[in-house]
Amino acid sequence: MELLTVENLSFSYPQAGGRALENVTCSVRRGEFVALCGATGSGKSTLLRLLKRELAPLGERSGRILIGGTPVEELPASASARTVGFVMQQPEQQLVTDRVWHELAFGLENLGLPQAVIARRVAETASYFGIEDWYEREVSGLSGGQKQLLALASVMVMQPEILLLDEPTSQLDPIAASDFIATLRRLNQDFSLTVLLSEHRLEEVIPLCDRMLVLEKGRLLESDAPRRVIPRLGDRPELLCAMPAAARLGAALGAQTCPLTVREGREWLGQWLGQLCRETSCEQPPQACGKEQSSPQGAGPAGPPALCFRDVWFRYERSLPDVLRGLSLTVAQGELFCILGGNGSGKTTALGVAAGLLRAYSGSIRVFGKRIREVRPGDGCVAALPQDVQTVFLRNTVREELEDAGVRPESLPFDLGGLYDRHPYDLSGGEQQLLGLAKVLAASPRLLLLDEPTKGLDADTKRGFIRILRELQASGMTVVVVTHDVDFAAQCADRCALFFRGAAVSVGAPADFFSENRFYTTAANRMTRGYFDRVVTVKDAIARCRGCRREGAPHEGN
Amino acid sequence: MYSLSECNPAVAAVCLLSAAGIAMFCMNPVILALSLAGAVCFFLVRNGAGGGKSHLFFCLLFAVLALVNPLVSHNGVTVLFVLNHRPVTLEALLYGMAAAAAVVSALYWFRSFSQLMTGDRLLYLFGRLSPRLALVLSMAFRFVPLFSRQAKKIRQAQRALGRLREGNIAETFRGNVRVFSILLTWALENGIVTADSMAARGYGVGRRTQFSVFRFRRGDAVLLALTLLFFGGACVSLACGALDMVYYPALVFPECTPLALAGYLCYGLLAFLPSLAQGWEVLRWSCLRSRI
Repeated sequence: MELLTVENLSFSYPQAGGRALENVTCSVRRGEFVALCGATGSGKSTLLRLLKRELAPLGERSGRILIGGTPVEELPASASARTVGFVMQQPEQQLVTDRVWHELAFGLENLGLPQAVIARRVAETASYFGIEDWYEREVSGLSGGQKQLLALASVMVMQPEILLLDEPTSQLDPIAASDFIATLRRLNQDFSLTVLLSEHRLEEVIPLCDRMLVLEKGRLLESDAPRRVIPRLGDRPELLCAMPAAARLGAALGAQTCPLTVREGREWLGQWLGQLCRETSCEQPPQACGKEQSSPQGAGPAGPPALCFRDVWFRYERSLPDVLRGLSLTVAQGELFCILGGNGSGKTTALGVAAGLLRAYSGSIRVFGKRIREVRPGDGCVAALPQDVQTVFLRNTVREELEDAGVRPESLPFDLGGLYDRHPYDLSGGEQQLLGLAKVLAASPRLLLLDEPTKGLDADTKRGFIRILRELQASGMTVVVVTHDVDFAAQCADRCALFFRGAAVSVGAPADFFSENRFYTTAANRMTRGYFDRVVTVKDAIARCRGCRREGAPHEGN
Repeated sequence: MYSLSECNPAVAAVCLLSAAGIAMFCMNPVILALSLAGAVCFFLVRNGAGGGKSHLFFCLLFAVLALVNPLVSHNGVTVLFVLNHRPVTLEALLYGMAAAAAVVSALYWFRSFSQLMTGDRLLYLFGRLSPRLALVLSMAFRFVPLFSRQAKKIRQAQRALGRLREGNIAETFRGNVRVFSILLTWALENGIVTADSMAARGYGVGRRTQFSVFRFRRGDAVLLALTLLFFGGACVSLACGALDMVYYPALVFPECTPLALAGYLCYGLLAFLPSLAQGWEVLRWSCLRSRI
């Protein structure tokens, strides 16, 4: 039964050139889990917002949207608020009140329900989502993942029939994001809740969803099960690069049924290699294929040090526990160095210490041989870009922002043209990141510190960002990146470090680093483990598979 | 009977405000001494030996307030000594001490009041007046710390970029003005998201109700009844003039009539009621815990 029907929907924003949506027709059945994919600016948010009447943007609209057979405009106000739940991207800003319990009750208060009903619904929702332990806490003290879960719970407490989510995990770390997606799956399975979700991080969503809608420049490109859609995206690298690693490998090698998860990817790869062996009448089992006898590259830094921590201890307040516990780490000049690790492992703190924002109480930190206390901000030695990139903007247009910082646009390794008259807050996440980068580069630092630069970026933008980092590195800059994104680190880093409880527990080149890790590694590595050595990116995996095929007999290969 | 931190916020507010209120409108030394003792006792019961700095501040404030009056006011008939050709009188000194006791005890009461009345409790109190006001308060409680955190983050980000120069005052001032102006933009920008989130959850659809986690239990009723009883007794005694004290030109202490004694008793009980409630709960809890 169709719960949601969209017929010939077109939409254009006032004073905008083209159409944001063009002739979109689709429908969603009750209980379906649908993923909405597409690059930034493809119209995902516009479509989702048009489905929720209260959030529909102003502009010119044609076509019809039916929810349960009724056009959205004709739903009564309270029914519209209740039936369609909407969860947004920003965990902090979409919460309204100061306490967890009040946030949960907020929607029900708006509907004017009596106290006893609110009490029961809030209680059962809180226990379902496991938020009893922090029920009376203040919202400001919650982690990002908890805030987003609370936002979901306070929508679910109103018992919606369809749940719309606009990039809900883009601001979360990977573990919180998986938890969130698992919760969505549980809601979908337990209550047959209809879910329509737009997302950049598709690795975990694609295997769950029944159907994916692919939008491109406002047009609906595909609407089908992921296994059928992904092979058809083969010639569109900008869309394909957002898909799960297994699916990308399968699509590149022309799999009949597209694998979606790491497990399916492994099975499929085993069969594929086995078949290759049979075709080339090779006696060796596929497991032996593509073994490489190269010794691990030296884990030590290559050049003179740019940044050197020696036995650094730090805590935020005298009475609080240590955050950095004897951190020792050396980053060589000209390196692109990635710091990985879980929440609270001290990654961001280490960056703050290196930037001179925080002062360690013990140990030594040297930047290009100079002690950190002698390094003055703005003398071209070290500059940092914080995680929340909005905090670096002070002006009303991009142009003023650049002039204020003294940036010469022609000296930048990327183009900000076309954005000059926009407000920094109106830019997309990727554009904001670039503007922030431009401001940092104005001080022409030799050491650049970046905190989670890929947070909330779509896969294609991320590829562009990696290119820019490489260019900066080629111009002689040392770059240290703190990130949760293992795929990003595998693709761009010269060396990676894993932080755990305030110290760097392992350091190495990505190929060694990730193939020695079992859990903390990329999907491509987990998938090819045992078949190939030292493969950490999908690109490597594809190259190795193709290499095997070309060589004919895989065991003679390398 | 529950301790004030456990009981219904309305009851706690009535209890503290009535104890502080009487002390603010009465210059009777006994009442003021009781108020000061009760307020300090309750503060100590709640905070233990901590808060040494605030005690020191209150002591200094008491001394200053008590000494300023005899230095500027020269009314009164009992001259203690002459300073700079001006008489310093006993009456003025006592009046100063009484006024200081009133101020300091009120400050202690309100200290405890602000500790007890966290955001959600105030919300419960004022939300009774209007669910809309309740929401505005709740949002305000959230936004103020949110802004100060964001301001701190912006300042740090500027420092990390090497952009915020902390040289002379003019530059620091200009930097702060700029941070403040972008903070306003940020607030509006975030306000849009919050407003969207509110609209999405049906804000403004109809008449709002108010949900709260506080209930009115039997122990609350007991505490409220006791508070009102003691407050009423003290008020009657006060209204009949049994507690009136005259400072100028000469000291006239109130007579020890039964009505005055009843007034002292009632106020004494009222001033120590918060501490007693706390003590009662500790006692009850240790008794209950022994059975676990």
